[in-house]
Amino acid sequence: MVMSNILLIIIGLSGGLSVGCGFVAFLSVLGIIPRLSQLTKTHQFIREYEWSVVFSVVFGTWVGLRNIHFDLSHFLLIPIGVGAGLFVGLLAAALTEVLNVLPILAKRIGIHEQILLLLMAIVLGKVFGSLFHWSLFIDN
Amino acid sequence: MASQTHTIYIRLRHKISGTVGQAINVKELAQVIAPSEMKERIETTCVHRIKPEDNTFVVIDAMDLIREINQLYPTSDIQTIGPSQTIIVVTMKKQKFKRVLFLLVWILLFIGSGLTIMNFHEDVAMPEVHRKIYTMVTGKVNDKPLILQIPYSIGIGIGMILFFNHIFKKRFNEEPSPLEVEMFNYEQDLDRYILFHEKQKSESKEHGNE
Repeated sequence: MVMSNILLIIIGLSGGLSVGCGFVAFLSVLGIIPRLSQLTKTHQFIREYEWSVVFSVVFGTWVGLRNIHFDLSHFLLIPIGVGAGLFVGLLAAALTEVLNVLPILAKRIGIHEQILLLLMAIVLGKVFGSLFHWSLFIDN
Repeated sequence: MASQTHTIYIRLRHKISGTVGQAINVKELAQVIAPSEMKERIETTCVHRIKPEDNTFVVIDAMDLIREINQLYPTSDIQTIGPSQTIIVVTMKKQKFKRVLFLLVWILLFIGSGLTIMNFHEDVAMPEVHRKIYTMVTGKVNDKPLILQIPYSIGIGIGMILFFNHIFKKRFNEEPSPLEVEMFNYEQDLDRYILFHEKQKSESKEHGNE
């Protein structure tokens, strides 16, 4: 009994360790935190940003796994939603950029000044795709 | 007096553009430092006349320039600084903006990116996560928590724009966006490819003529 509990603790700890490492590695490759600190000119707080991510991951994991709930106003969901969307938007943009899609496309069809318009196509596509998904698609 | 050696410094430009039939002078190809009476003569020397069969790119080597200058001033000492080749981009009569093609690409990107975000949501089981967050915050159950999901969707757009540092041409700061840096790198790679391959092509052509 004690042995199996110890085994479970070890399995849980090592699983969490590798998932945590993977999460951080993924974030680093996409470079979202440097980008945000560059935009806001707050390079000096990069350590604090790291801690923010770590605390949030631990909190999210715990609350998510234990099904804890609070009885708060549902208007609180609006800032949470905007924040979540912003983060996913940054992720999506970073992925597009890593894959080098836009420079090649712009060169191929010989447009240079209009690259901003192509960017807006992607951005609006994401926004409307997401809205469509939540409002109509899920209904079944 | 005449046999006195003068040093001529030339620095080729990286990339210039020209039209068919235009004569490319040294002045357009490079910056020149030389004694003033020589400088003018050198700068107005024609190195290459763009022919229709040159296609889109012509590469001029520093050696071509040195050969020309050597004919004018055999005793001069020529020093080259900077890039050793110049790319001439031959522009046709104003390339017109392909409206239909552009529209097609725009629609393709619009639909494609919408589809990818939907696939992503399903892949990471986001509907389930949203329902869970709703219950977590309010303590109630809601199968379609639109109050969370509509701000989320708008947030995606803002996040992407933030990343690329564009809000419809307005910028937050002077730094180039990652996309602009990426465009620059891509063009540099293309230029290196052109320098390597165009030169080889023209050299083999010359050998064929001999």
